[in-house]
Amino acid sequence: MKKKSNNEYAIVVDNVSKKFKIYYDKPNTLKERLVFWKNSKVNYHEVLKNINLQIKKGETVALIGVNGSGKSTLLKLMTKIIYPTEGVITTNGKLTSLLELGAGFHPDFTGRENIYFNASIFGLTAAEIDKRVQDIIDFSELGDYIDTPVRTYSSGMYMRLAFSVAINVDAEILLIDEILAVGDQHFQDKCFAKLEELKQSEKTIVIVSHSLDAVRKLCNRGIWIYNGEVRKDGKIDEVVDEYLKVCG
Amino acid sequence: MFKELYNYRQLLKSNVSKEIRGKYKGSFLGVLWSFVNPLLMTLVYAIVFPFILKSTQPHYVTFIVIAILPWTWFTTVISQGTNTIVVNGGIIKKVYFPREILPISIVTSGLINFLISCLIIAIFLICSGIGFSIYIIFLPIIVLIQYILLLGLIFITSAIDVYIRDAEYIIAFLVSMLFYGTPILYSSNLFPAKFSWLLKLNPLTTIIESYRNIFYYQTLPNLKELGIVFIISSIILVIGYKIFKKLEKGFAEEL
Repeated sequence: MKKKSNNEYAIVVDNVSKKFKIYYDKPNTLKERLVFWKNSKVNYHEVLKNINLQIKKGETVALIGVNGSGKSTLLKLMTKIIYPTEGVITTNGKLTSLLELGAGFHPDFTGRENIYFNASIFGLTAAEIDKRVQDIIDFSELGDYIDTPVRTYSSGMYMRLAFSVAINVDAEILLIDEILAVGDQHFQDKCFAKLEELKQSEKTIVIVSHSLDAVRKLCNRGIWIYNGEVRKDGKIDEVVDEYLKVCG
Repeated sequence: MFKELYNYRQLLKSNVSKEIRGKYKGSFLGVLWSFVNPLLMTLVYAIVFPFILKSTQPHYVTFIVIAILPWTWFTTVISQGTNTIVVNGGIIKKVYFPREILPISIVTSGLINFLISCLIIAIFLICSGIGFSIYIIFLPIIVLIQYILLLGLIFITSAIDVYIRDAEYIIAFLVSMLFYGTPILYSSNLFPAKFSWLLKLNPLTTIIESYRNIFYYQTLPNLKELGIVFIISSIILVIGYKIFKKLEKGFAEEL
């Protein structure tokens, strides 16, 4: 991670564009590559166009917009899962993303083993995980089930465990993609309270969400992405109101 | 690069142990299969060659065990390593972590398996009466060279396999050809002199011969050749890492 001179920013998105190749027939084998190497139809779909954003440390930002507007792509670019076609994204601080809960869970391993494995994907050492493992188990409310294989879990239990790991890894920047709807009402409230607590402790949070009411309560800044461009960026209430006026 | 890998050392550790334990999960013998497999292979060759082909090599079983175990390390790493990125596509698309962890943990788990299987070599050396010599101190150097070579190779093959899935099959074929192009079942001086340069082109020849030198012939390995192979392997590693780094940016989109 490169350090920028302006340390007050957690995420700087500089002139970023992202194009996806759209193949009609994706040549996955050598034969197809050789036979169709010239005439494979490739279209480019420009998902993000020239995005410029500065997100300060400690800000809680909501990315809103209709389906297919490029919000999730922007989030994936910030986590470095995919890379921009043009432009640079700089992040400053330990980053955790909750794009899809439970990515990398091994069904045959127990909940506890998966905590270790999942947290290590987020870059924690064994000693750091040891310190947090009890918090994670308590937060997930799985109790004795923690020592049974994950494949026996209900989908709600699975989600609760995954969320508990991700939220307890102590990242400075948290990127969340539409996962506020985890578990039952009780667990949702608990997640919400935890996010509120993280917000108070000066963590940077970026949320992609369609639950506008939740976002209104939690975030202090809204960014409305429309057709791959920033349509409006400002105070959360203003952005949500305008978004509802146009798209609602 | 090293700093980031160091930060993710826990992931590397748990991935290596998952590689070793998870591979034979559900089978009765479990991890033991990593050793039973090459032993069974040895058994087949030990039956076939002395009887049918009238091999005159003394202690033939020990002679081939010493070569088959490093070969097993090579071939399992190449076959698992080539599709490691494709197999782990699920995580790659959802979480960021240094992608080179995946090939590194494949080579490392292979290394651990090999080091344990050196016990088998030791047993054969004792039982055949060959015993040990001081030249065993060269073992870490040979192992290191093989590690570097393997890592460089699977950096390349694992990254290419994402874009061209045929790579797995082509490489599987090349590896099975290579088995006969490497002095495993025979000694390199049995190879027709006219084509011995062909054998020398294969860096595995030097590596396998060196294992044999220190264990079986109890002599000094050919240090000049070993040095050349070390340099070649290092170049492959550097180029492989560059290729991997370049191609890795498209992994999540191609998978």
